[in-house]
Amino acid sequence: MATVLVVDDEFGIAELFEAILEDEGHRVLTASNGRHGLEVLAKERPDVVFLDYMMPVMDGANMLRRMTADQKLQHIPVVMMSSIPEAAVAERCSGYVKFMRKPFYVSQVTDVVDELVGRSAPPDA
Amino acid sequence: MNDNNELDRMSSGIGGLDIVLQGGFFRGGLYLIQGTPGTGKTTLANQICFNHVARGNRAIYVTLLAEYHARMVQFIGRMSFFDESKIPDQLSYFSGFRVLREEGLPGLLTLVRREIIAKKVSVLVIDGVIAAQRSAEHDQAFNEFVHELQGIAIATHCTLFLVTSADRDAKTTPEHTMVDGILDLSDHSVGWSMPRALHVVKVRGSAYLRGKHAYKITDDGVVVYPRIEALLTEPSTAAHGGQERVTTGIAQLDTMLGGGLPSGSPTLLLGPSGIGKTTFGLQFLSRCSDSAPGLMMGFYETPARILAKAQQVCRPLVNLLGNGAVELLWQPPIDDSLDAYGERLLTAVRRRGVKRLFLDGLGALQSAPAAAERMRQYLPALTNELRIQGVTTLYSLEAANIVGPETRTSFGDLSVLAENLVLLRYVELRSRLHRLISILKVRDSDFDPFLHEFFLTDQGPAVNASAASPRGD
Repeated sequence: MATVLVVDDEFGIAELFEAILEDEGHRVLTASNGRHGLEVLAKERPDVVFLDYMMPVMDGANMLRRMTADQKLQHIPVVMMSSIPEAAVAERCSGYVKFMRKPFYVSQVTDVVDELVGRSAPPDA
Repeated sequence: MNDNNELDRMSSGIGGLDIVLQGGFFRGGLYLIQGTPGTGKTTLANQICFNHVARGNRAIYVTLLAEYHARMVQFIGRMSFFDESKIPDQLSYFSGFRVLREEGLPGLLTLVRREIIAKKVSVLVIDGVIAAQRSAEHDQAFNEFVHELQGIAIATHCTLFLVTSADRDAKTTPEHTMVDGILDLSDHSVGWSMPRALHVVKVRGSAYLRGKHAYKITDDGVVVYPRIEALLTEPSTAAHGGQERVTTGIAQLDTMLGGGLPSGSPTLLLGPSGIGKTTFGLQFLSRCSDSAPGLMMGFYETPARILAKAQQVCRPLVNLLGNGAVELLWQPPIDDSLDAYGERLLTAVRRRGVKRLFLDGLGALQSAPAAAERMRQYLPALTNELRIQGVTTLYSLEAANIVGPETRTSFGDLSVLAENLVLLRYVELRSRLHRLISILKVRDSDFDPFLHEFFLTDQGPAVNASAASPRGD
């Protein structure tokens, strides 16, 4: 089982991650912008962060920058998500380990989590 | 920025819409874009944002309960105004719904205010405003929300657009009275077609073109066609008052008209199918030159067929088509608005300073949505503008009956259209069809009242100098 932080302002995205990953036995934390995301990271150490690129208050690039500058957070793998192509995102920020173009399929989410944190055991019956 | 008491304008980047608004939106204004589902509200709002950032500005698109951003980008990404390079530095997409759900309208206001200031944006869209309205505990709370948005717009000089669905029979709600302007997008059934109409319901502190205006959603986004009769209420320039005559290209017809067609006047060439109306029109255009260019707008015959016809019966025109003195504008009678036709025609006329226009198949205009109810205002407005531009116009119109003394058309009163009226008809005599031409009307002028027989030759129409004999000899 892994702990996954999903940082996305768009209603429905975090809920979708919860539905997908909690069924697989993972724990899902959510935040609606970069600042909320950093607040969560002050208390929790997720195994992977799914980070939306465009958000109000603090965007994904800014949050990633703060994470990579923080020794306690820089080891956490970040999956950047956006509806614009990776090339445009990569021009403006670096340090993420994977990129997911929105809209994405359920299988992409589970594949990425499996790849980054290893397949976890199914939840106890 | 102007003096604080003056209102700056901001172009929508959509030519027809700026014309309807008579200069675009007011900077720092609060506008409502409403419409039934599928009418292009989101496309229009995105287009305004992209056009705005293309001029070096910044914008934010906030969604509440609207499309997912990814899906929205997929759809608008196919349109020509979409420019990925502007995202996110100049144009950002945010969702405000989570904030709305967790912190209510005050939270959403705080988010909007801080993002406008932090990102220095001058356009902000809130799409899906119905979600904010439903989240309000009572009407007064939503009114206060709209009022505060207006305050933010004024203080930051940021133009705000609220995008919301509206029922077809939507009643006036408080936000309608509070906003600075309302754009209503709609579509409705006319037979098998569904024409779209934009209606500016109100704009505070400015004149605008009232009534409905056709629009289309194309690969270039929303294209607005201001209603011709509203647009041309005021003449674009001083009227052309020439008394000189213009040759039809047929010497005997000029004689019958009393010296040719009055310059800048509209002439209706009326006759049944196959009698030679297009051939007369080609002859009229064959007298164009570089200094007096011509235009043919046709609805049924393709440019290739027109060229082939010119090679057969009007060879001088072939050269004029080749050197650009005459242009062919082919407009299939598709499901388009009268205003789209009119806009294309007037653009082509103004672009080249056209002096001779042959519009072949006027009846095609009647297939346009709402043509029956608008034609009596539309055609005089269009004709008047052509006159002002100094264009001598020849319209051909098909008569319903092939042979006989009566001439019926699908148009009603022809006097609204034509200052000059030329009638072509067949007469059956001694087992043979004869082609006859007669003049029914010439503006402020006497004319030859007799019927003349004419023939279609490889040199074009040849009109007999003497009046036709009632016995056919």
